Amino acid sequence: MIYVVLFFLIFSVLLYVLLAGADFGAGVLELFSSKENQAVTKKTLYRVMGPVWEANHIWIIITIVILWVAFPVFYNVLVVSLHIPITLMLLGITLRGVAFVFRHYDAFIDKSQIVYDWMFRVSSLVTPIFIGMVFGALLSSQIVTNQESHSFYELYIQGWFNIFSILIGCFFTALCTFLAAILLIGESEQEHRKVYVKKARIATIVVVILGFLCLLYGYLTKVEFVSVFLESKWTLAIVIISGILLFPLWQSIKKQRRIYSRLFAGLQVVCILSAAFIPVFPELIFTQTHTISLLENIAPESTISVLGTTLIIGGVVILPGLFHLLKSFKMIKILER
Amino acid sequence: MENLDAARLQMAFTLIFHIVFACVGMVMPFFMITSHYKWLKTRKKIYLTLTKSWQKGVAIFFVTGAVSGTALSFELGLLWPEFMKHAGPIIGMPFSLEGAAFFVEAIALGFYLYGWNKIPEKFHWITGVIVGISGVLSGILVVAANGWMNAPSGFDYVDGVFSNIDPVKAMLNKAWFTQALHMTLAAFASTGFAVAGIHAYQILRGRQMDVHQAAFKIAISFGAIAALLQPLSGDLSAKDIAERQPVKLAAMEAHYDTEKGAPLYIGGIVNNETQEVKYKVEIPKALSFLAFGDFDAEVKGLNDFPEDERPNVAIVHYAFQVMVSLGGIMAMASIVFFLAYFKKQSWWQKNWFWWGFTLLAPVGYMALEAGWIVTEVGRQPWIIHGIMRTKDAVTPVPGIVVSFYMYVALYVLLTVAVAWLMNRQIKALNQSQLMA
Repeated sequence: MIYVVLFFLIFSVLLYVLLAGADFGAGVLELFSSKENQAVTKKTLYRVMGPVWEANHIWIIITIVILWVAFPVFYNVLVVSLHIPITLMLLGITLRGVAFVFRHYDAFIDKSQIVYDWMFRVSSLVTPIFIGMVFGALLSSQIVTNQESHSFYELYIQGWFNIFSILIGCFFTALCTFLAAILLIGESEQEHRKVYVKKARIATIVVVILGFLCLLYGYLTKVEFVSVFLESKWTLAIVIISGILLFPLWQSIKKQRRIYSRLFAGLQVVCILSAAFIPVFPELIFTQTHTISLLENIAPESTISVLGTTLIIGGVVILPGLFHLLKSFKMIKILER
Repeated sequence: MENLDAARLQMAFTLIFHIVFACVGMVMPFFMITSHYKWLKTRKKIYLTLTKSWQKGVAIFFVTGAVSGTALSFELGLLWPEFMKHAGPIIGMPFSLEGAAFFVEAIALGFYLYGWNKIPEKFHWITGVIVGISGVLSGILVVAANGWMNAPSGFDYVDGVFSNIDPVKAMLNKAWFTQALHMTLAAFASTGFAVAGIHAYQILRGRQMDVHQAAFKIAISFGAIAALLQPLSGDLSAKDIAERQPVKLAAMEAHYDTEKGAPLYIGGIVNNETQEVKYKVEIPKALSFLAFGDFDAEVKGLNDFPEDERPNVAIVHYAFQVMVSLGGIMAMASIVFFLAYFKKQSWWQKNWFWWGFTLLAPVGYMALEAGWIVTEVGRQPWIIHGIMRTKDAVTPVPGIVVSFYMYVALYVLLTVAVAWLMNRQIKALNQSQLMA
């Protein structure tokens, strides 16, 4: 059953990154657009994301529930050491969610839209940075878990507020923007597609550069995770695959093939996450002194089996519904071709 | 401020807000689908207008409830990591089921909100029904998890170690049913009265009588039935608490000494030092009867429990009085409504009738919050009754007071914004009716 639970954990994280990531990224795109394009993006976003964004964001709740139920000790480190960035991330998620609804459901369209728009755009940028920083913090070997004889700064700040984590935060945000641009190519009207094609290309380049910078910085400052990463055969294989996959991605973007570009973009994200986590799994937290395994001190078997069963039942109920929702509102066109 | 106090305040504060958002998001869909059903049946335009107006309300509240709920799911761990470390594996089941129910709700809501003229009419309506049912299920499941904190079960606890964990037994703890029933009825009663009150006020101001009258009738029907059933469910809860958490019952009643044939105290001012309750109304033997169904039964007093295992008596007692008296007022108002509906049609024209319901708009939520204060403060000093103290569960991260103030600012802002938006929705509804 632990494998079922692990599967759903990985599945939820992946879907959160893909779906909510694209959702955050769309806000970032809107932020970095000309005035005219901002209005277009806003309209497209409402049409595309409106019916599904709420469902997209539930993946984080599923992730968190799985973590606390099945991996309580691991979760404990997360919520204590990373209390501050998680709180800031929540603040961002909250403001962003309400801004999205306010701007589309307000009964009158007037000046208050300006406030909602800026709230939406800025929180769309800030939230994924903090999510990325949380990922970065786990891998940065800066977290201190031993409460004694450490200052507030060492215990609760430096774990996530360090250059490596910040770089990962920026990398993650760029990745979200990249996903959003590719999603929007397929969803916008013909005359606006070029804009998103251009943005998708820029985002791809930014992702690659930031990814490289993360590794370079990690290598130069001897971040343990980066050395494991660079020495692993897995990583090498995955990086090569992902490099090769960049070409068809580039082609599909150029030819505005929406299904293929989404597919290849999704694969890039899968590659990035696997390259980062497969070499180190299950040691997912690198602290200053040691690593913490996800599989250490897991919940007792009875809990795991009940959780696994619940997840399977939930999956059977939810996934077809979700798929139907995405399909009904034309998020997925695969079936129609 | 101590870290523990700040953490408790933050938790209380976020819950106080979340409960309102969640209840509206849970109950409003039922009003919405009732109106939608009437539209499909009668094809009267006002029901369509009303449905569409309410669905915007549902969307706004659902999202505010969902994001504040997301924040809460993290806060449990952020503020009470020791609690979650041990309790997580035990009460994970209702939470994971709740996640599933909530997911279903979000999917159905996606269909409902964006499905007008796109999906078949009946299926569209059914998605609305699913929104309502899965919302109520989510609520029940979360309350079941809270029930476990009051009536921990499904594990052995020896020398500080939890073993033999049975998540199903933990979910079906002794408190889950009475608490879930009481909370669900409370959600319907308070939202029913709140929504009815808002429309009553519009009627008072002579605006678009038809649509507001239709709205009022739907909302108050749900609210009134729930408010009339609530005393029965309250009685079940009282009997349950008397058996399971006698110290909480004693605090609710500010009852210090164990006695047979215990009187019921109504109101009064509690002095914890002298253990006196001044200016109270005393009904002989009533507490024994209400708690055990026997006028001479023994009711345990606070002095039977060690001092460090008692909750803050004054808060629990006052909150309980507020809850019961407001609940009583609502039950009476419900009777007035049914009288007006079936017998005294002339009341519909009377201003006092509409003023009455306008003033009652916030009362349900006040009662509901008071009720949660009773159950949460009444459980203190425990986070898991009899097993783990709240002070042992709190996070080691210092300076929680900062995050407390941040949340206060955030939620006050959200509340103001949502109230303002709702006001604009009503204005728009009135304008659209004028145009028509």
